[in-house]
Amino acid sequence: MSVEAVPAPTVLAETPGWWERSNKATLAMAGVTVVLFLCFGIAAPNFLTFGNISNLATQVAITLIVAVAMTFVITTGQIDLSVGSTVAFVATLTAEMLRAGWDSSLVIIAALLAGLLWGAVNGWLSAYQKIPPFIVTLATMSVIRGLAQLWTKGFSVPIDRRLYVARIGAAKFLGFSALAWIALAAVVLGAVMLSTMRFGNYVNGIGSQEESVRRAGVNTDRIKMITLMLAGLAAGVAGLLTAARLGSGSANSGQGFELTVIAAVVLGGTNLFGGRGTMVGTIIGAVITGVIANGLTLLGVSPFLTPIVTGLVLLAAIWINLRGRTIADLFAHLTRRP
Amino acid sequence: MSDTSLVTLRGITKSFGPVQSLRGVDLTLAPGEVLGLVGDNGAGKSTLMKVLAGAIQHDSGQITVDGRDVRFASPADARRERIGIVYQDLALCDTLDVASNLFLGREPRKGPFIDRRAMHAKAAETLSELHVRVKSTYQEIGRLSGGQRQAVAIARAVSFQPRVLILDEPTAALAVAEVRQVLKMIRDVASQGVGVILITHRLQDLFEVCDRITVMHEGRSVEDEPISALDIERLVAMITRSGNGSDTKEVA
Repeated sequence: MSVEAVPAPTVLAETPGWWERSNKATLAMAGVTVVLFLCFGIAAPNFLTFGNISNLATQVAITLIVAVAMTFVITTGQIDLSVGSTVAFVATLTAEMLRAGWDSSLVIIAALLAGLLWGAVNGWLSAYQKIPPFIVTLATMSVIRGLAQLWTKGFSVPIDRRLYVARIGAAKFLGFSALAWIALAAVVLGAVMLSTMRFGNYVNGIGSQEESVRRAGVNTDRIKMITLMLAGLAAGVAGLLTAARLGSGSANSGQGFELTVIAAVVLGGTNLFGGRGTMVGTIIGAVITGVIANGLTLLGVSPFLTPIVTGLVLLAAIWINLRGRTIADLFAHLTRRP
Repeated sequence: MSDTSLVTLRGITKSFGPVQSLRGVDLTLAPGEVLGLVGDNGAGKSTLMKVLAGAIQHDSGQITVDGRDVRFASPADARRERIGIVYQDLALCDTLDVASNLFLGREPRKGPFIDRRAMHAKAAETLSELHVRVKSTYQEIGRLSGGQRQAVAIARAVSFQPRVLILDEPTAALAVAEVRQVLKMIRDVASQGVGVILITHRLQDLFEVCDRITVMHEGRSVEDEPISALDIERLVAMITRSGNGSDTKEVA
């Protein structure tokens, strides 16, 4: 009885094909991006010029920086609604500190720390005090912007153009703005963290089944707090760059920014319910949101039409995202090899 | 027996709000012993095993491993004492691949990065050794069958080379041949000196591999008998608490 007919071991460490590994929702959105570029390229002759593409990269940069961090947050199954308010807070802080005569390097450090601090507040309340992050960040969204408004009484604070911080907003390297290069660095860093480090594995695992990751001996509360701190830090960077680019800090900047960022992440194929994050998708999502705004402006349509079209496209894209998995399953079924 | 004990639990209690799940449980396990833990649903078996694996923290009572008092604040603490467990719900992550699940929490690294090549190679080796049938270590766990998932969870617990192996309903989703494989594995690891705690509703399995049976009822350990003193009717009576165990006449 103890002698079993042992079947030949059939477990292979074999990499599956490119198609099997790819996120189908991201592929669908890559297709949408190509179609959008073609349509605008044909309709607006100056759309596919280097100058406009460089301009587009700058427009997308600030959204993308925060979207990279938001990808981690959403992949763990959380959400952060407070990033727009943090942008406003840090932009205000930057302008106020510069007006008070602080050195630019100190202001940069203070801006990043302020973002990180708000992220830590969100993270501690949601991960350790077990208040749903949706509720926590809805509340801090109001508190953080409220503080900035209380501070400036709603006035925009100008920044001296000659200061180092202000020059970051206008700097260009190899035809692209400093903002675009910073966004590229954020994307590369985020992609490395998500797909090659333990942290990324745990982020995906927590979004899938948090209790399983905890039982494997991982401090899941800490991982969740870190993702929200990353979002705060990224929003701090975004706030600093917003102030630098606009040459002023306003408590009213970044209104609705959190929705743009979340839309970019979800458009790219990161599952809103967690467990599946894609950094390539986040780039695609951010580019789609940017391209629509940029292309419509070039076509010279009424500026009031832009938010309507943007909203409708986002709705359609998310609808495809949610359906993407079943469409992909059907496609895989139809193209399955015997 | 108590002087060679590997694990001793004494007077373990645990409450979840107003519900007292464990009301004072005693349990001992010797090296190389296979202990069957039985009891009706809700008797507290799984809760007790989660305490022993560090997944939940008990309120009062004493856990002794190798004669040392221990207290597990987290699953990582229990793992350091080389207590391995296959949870009833398997504790896998559906969107991670087989190798990532197998090495969850202890991924091999190259500098700050996961050494995926080594991880997948080791995973394939481990799974092949245990005759687990999975097409590729890159497959997502969510796409595997119930039996394959269970096999991966068992392989994970065994691959830690535990001194104590807890199996909570390890054969629920398995086919006949796979059940035989698991029972054989239990005998193998026990013969290497590992203490095994087996929770199962398949009573015939208990008679096949266990040395001793501990019965739990409503959060207490109520009976402890060597398997040689039991037959299946008496065991059923002990679990259902019909009659008094020893002088039962009616059998469910």
